[in-house]
Amino acid sequence: MTLVRLALKSLLSRRFTVGLTVFAIALSVALFLGVEKLRTGARASFADTISKTDLIMGARSGSVQLLLYSVFRIGNATNNVSWQSYEELTSRPEVDWAVPISLGDSHKQFRVMGTTAAYFDRYKYRNGRSLAFEQGVAFDDLFDAVIGADVAQTLGYAVGHPIIVAHGLASFTEHDELPFRISGVLEKTGTPADSTVFVGLDAIEAIHVDWQGGGRKSGPATTEDVIRAMDLKPKAITAAMIGVKSRLQAFGLQRAINEYPDEPLQAILPGIALQELWEIVGVAETALTGVSAMVVATALLGMAVMILSGLNERRREMAILRSVGAGPLTIAGLMLTEAVTMAAAGAALGIGLLYVGLLGLRPWLDAAYGLYLPLSGLTQKDVIMLGLVLAAAALVSLVPAIRAYRLSVADGMMVKV
Amino acid sequence: MRYVLPILAATLVQTGHVHAETRQMDSHEHGSGTLNIALEGSTVVMEFEAPGYDIVGFEYEATSDKDLAAIEAAIEKLESPMSLFVPNNSAGCTVAASHASLMTEEDGHEEHKDHEHDDDHEEHAEGEDHDEDHADDHDEHDHEDEASHTEFEAEYALTCDSPEKLTSLAFTYFQTFPNAEELDIQLITEKGAFAFEADRANPTVDLQGTQ
Repeated sequence: MTLVRLALKSLLSRRFTVGLTVFAIALSVALFLGVEKLRTGARASFADTISKTDLIMGARSGSVQLLLYSVFRIGNATNNVSWQSYEELTSRPEVDWAVPISLGDSHKQFRVMGTTAAYFDRYKYRNGRSLAFEQGVAFDDLFDAVIGADVAQTLGYAVGHPIIVAHGLASFTEHDELPFRISGVLEKTGTPADSTVFVGLDAIEAIHVDWQGGGRKSGPATTEDVIRAMDLKPKAITAAMIGVKSRLQAFGLQRAINEYPDEPLQAILPGIALQELWEIVGVAETALTGVSAMVVATALLGMAVMILSGLNERRREMAILRSVGAGPLTIAGLMLTEAVTMAAAGAALGIGLLYVGLLGLRPWLDAAYGLYLPLSGLTQKDVIMLGLVLAAAALVSLVPAIRAYRLSVADGMMVKV
Repeated sequence: MRYVLPILAATLVQTGHVHAETRQMDSHEHGSGTLNIALEGSTVVMEFEAPGYDIVGFEYEATSDKDLAAIEAAIEKLESPMSLFVPNNSAGCTVAASHASLMTEEDGHEEHKDHEHDDDHEEHAEGEDHDEDHADDHDEHDHEDEASHTEFEAEYALTCDSPEKLTSLAFTYFQTFPNAEELDIQLITEKGAFAFEADRANPTVDLQGTQ
């Protein structure tokens, strides 16, 4: 006990330098834990891009590719899915619901997705959260469009604004005869829905009425009334989201789609495809872990330097302690207690900093980057890491302990001239 | 279910209809099998598939008594999932149903070799058209060397008293079948779909956080 009291008193007497060291450790512990939280949060946000959809069906390619174009709207489909196959497969008894998706058009830099109004009910993210409308409602008329939060923000659109959909991506020819009207703006989700323009599946057909073989038909444009009277059932779609009645049937339906003899189709389990994709982009995760480990290493080094340099000022203190009978082991014990106390105080302060920071930054991170960090306790890995910080502090304190031991009793007593 | 399509196709060919043949084959990798697990309520449904090589060490058509006995024995082992894919005790799982069979995949035709012997399937597989289709193959290759693949398939249904306590699966499967090297596992729960891999060196899969 005397040892602990001595250590505490000694630390208190040097409160300024000790305070700085504790603060440095606290900062690095907070940084380390924060990076860990960001890493798991990024992973979870990514995995939560789509949830509650059992299968995604598309042309047979690769699971990651299908996921990329159907969910992230990156890249293009190798083939379309014929409407007939879609109807045949989704009328199977296992299917609870199905939402078709049709891609291929764009508005400015944003992808246009044709779908049904059911999409807004069925597309879920972040463990079952639904899309919500910031303004307006889902499309109802043939020429209604719903836009994501990023589209609204970047282009300054609001409900009622007319927009023109271009055929193909970054195409110069625009379907200017048929302007759409924005019926709704979605709330920010942090998912690809933010940068998508949604229109009805029949609207995609409607804008292609006057188009044939990649070019415009000659002659006057078909009027809106004529188009409205037309049968706009699509011939093909790009992909479909499917929900099954019972999870127990998901694999069976997946196999039925994969082995569908009339068209080469593929069904993926979105969760598994997301996991595969994360394994590819997950290198960044390793890099983040590396960065946080370096942060902690730097802080521990700093602590060692501070203890070592403090040793010089404390030669007198050591000499007095030894002259009143403290053995070398007591001195070493004193050093160890001091270092561990500093590390523990630093770790505790660091955890405090982390949660204060999390509470403050969470809403902003979610709104600006769609990065949702749950306010969870420390994970087992975090606790192990904190234990390592303490152990490393103890180890580092051995260096000054040995030095203190080797300096003679008389050292520091004599006044050097 | 997966047997229905080939049978249907075979029937159509036999009755003289002109129907474009669908040529597609599952991928087949020796040493690597798959296990699909779906969890709903207290029911766990599993579907297992592995190459014949993994289970009995050969994929040619078994004719000798020894080979036939090996297949028989393998199917029997595959029908007791609790000694191959062992859930942790506290989940309290028991087998409600299990069924295993051997599938022969030959040039796109799937021949169903159930140990229960379903005559209908055999008939279709050995129908006239089948023989004509493969006449060339028989000329070019010795029958023994014919590139054929076999797959063992099994379906299980388990009932678990406390499915929420299902936290791990131990694959004693690798001890039972020395040729098996790895299993790709897909799991569907309320929370979504997850993929795992078990192999000879790491035969236990941690399922924590999946429900």
